[in-house]
Amino acid sequence: MIQQAEHEFLVKATHDELNRQSYISDLRMYLLNTIGAGLHDVYDQQVRPAFEAEHGRSPQNGDEVLRGMLKHQYCKTWSSMVRATQEMIYDSVIPSVERAQPELNERVRAANQRPTLGSLDLDPMVEVPRYVSAVDVHCKPGNYHKEHTAGGDASQGALCDRSLFVYQAGAAGPNCDSNGRTIAEAIRHRWPEFKPRKILDIGCTIGNNTLPYLDVFPEAELHAIDVSAPCLRYGHARAQALGKAVHFHQMNAEQMKFADSSFDLIVSCILFHEVSRAALQKIMKECHRVLRPGGLAIHLEGPRTADLDPYYAFYYKWDGRFNNEPCLETWGETDIRKIAEEVGFKSNGYVELAVPDYSMTPRAKFIQAVTAREVIKKRSAGHWGEEDLCLPLYGMWKL
Amino acid sequence: MADIKISPLNIGERPCFFDDPAIDQLLGMMLAVSAELSVTRDRLDTVERLLASKGLVAGGEIEGFRPDAQVAGERKRRHEEYLQRILRIVREERQRLTPFDQMKQYQRLVEEFKKP
Repeated sequence: MIQQAEHEFLVKATHDELNRQSYISDLRMYLLNTIGAGLHDVYDQQVRPAFEAEHGRSPQNGDEVLRGMLKHQYCKTWSSMVRATQEMIYDSVIPSVERAQPELNERVRAANQRPTLGSLDLDPMVEVPRYVSAVDVHCKPGNYHKEHTAGGDASQGALCDRSLFVYQAGAAGPNCDSNGRTIAEAIRHRWPEFKPRKILDIGCTIGNNTLPYLDVFPEAELHAIDVSAPCLRYGHARAQALGKAVHFHQMNAEQMKFADSSFDLIVSCILFHEVSRAALQKIMKECHRVLRPGGLAIHLEGPRTADLDPYYAFYYKWDGRFNNEPCLETWGETDIRKIAEEVGFKSNGYVELAVPDYSMTPRAKFIQAVTAREVIKKRSAGHWGEEDLCLPLYGMWKL
Repeated sequence: MADIKISPLNIGERPCFFDDPAIDQLLGMMLAVSAELSVTRDRLDTVERLLASKGLVAGGEIEGFRPDAQVAGERKRRHEEYLQRILRIVREERQRLTPFDQMKQYQRLVEEFKKP
């Protein structure tokens, strides 16, 4: 497994912490891939036949599959272990963060107040919305936004950085940025004549998926927003440590403080499954407003459950039920194209792509996938590291 | 500035998947113990390598040891074998665990072999 790229703000692990975190990455992948493969057998050989015997038809959606699967001991065991492992991720990183404080906060503050690159604009009037604060998303203690001390705490940002790498088991690269890189490269390859000068990433957390836009569009001015002050503080420091100029702002994307037609390109990376349906409508409307005519808003997100066969719809929904992701199932049932039209994007400006990971795909195959005509295809839900996993990109030009 | 303490609890109802939540707890404990044993094995692995190369181990040498790609790969393979061992009972679930007081086939053998 590759190692996480070190930078001056990444918390250091002791010898044993590093090996514990590596083990937990391996455990998580083992549960999802090896034990998880058995789930499909359980479905095919036991759950689906039992359902068919009872109802005279196969299961038609993820809910029907989930109800049957959770009666089965194999699925109960798998579920219990996956949930426990998720919690172990954070448990294994928290000691590293605690040990790094209070010195980490002092260094982050210095980077925020005397930046060499980019800027940080915090607004204490920005409230963390309930769809973020009601539960600790992804089971992360302290969530995105908890402040453990007064005077400017970055602990949750630091926890984010290292725990994300453990969660991904390195599959998103040493800087946890393969998603952002994939979006940026998809845009560049599909629309090579499009040269955005001002880019906005909404819901950026610590900015790991924000930075790649500067690799692909080095002349652009890059902005990023989030509601979480700890993540923004840390993200601003981290971006500087990695040599990237990003202007971070504490804002809720439902109500952005930017003027109309401010940006050429607006992006988001797996944000929409973490916002409420009502918030999504407002966010999309704001995207339309702050996008300049001729600009592009494009969002990486998970699939619609209707596009998945019922078994994979169950697998995808599992996180929505048991991983503290209370908006995920709603996203799976959302017609984003319809919302785009409701907020003013024209129907002929909509494009949807199924894009393989940029770093893990041979270049020619990547280019072929991103330049294909609009493709919406049934696919497995999959998870990190799975070959041929394609990430949906939902795009809308402001024509 | 005060030291920071991050509570390990995550806010939200926590699902248990078995009728008896003790089973979920046991599984969680087992996984945590498995991690600690793995950490111990990895630490010993470090010590062995250092002993082999130096014959003398100072504390700082263990703390400073970081696996290169080859070592990380070998550890990953060992983790997989280790996980196969620990999760054997789950992989073999189709063999069906039998409640201890319903092992009828086994009891029939005992009776058979009991016959004079």
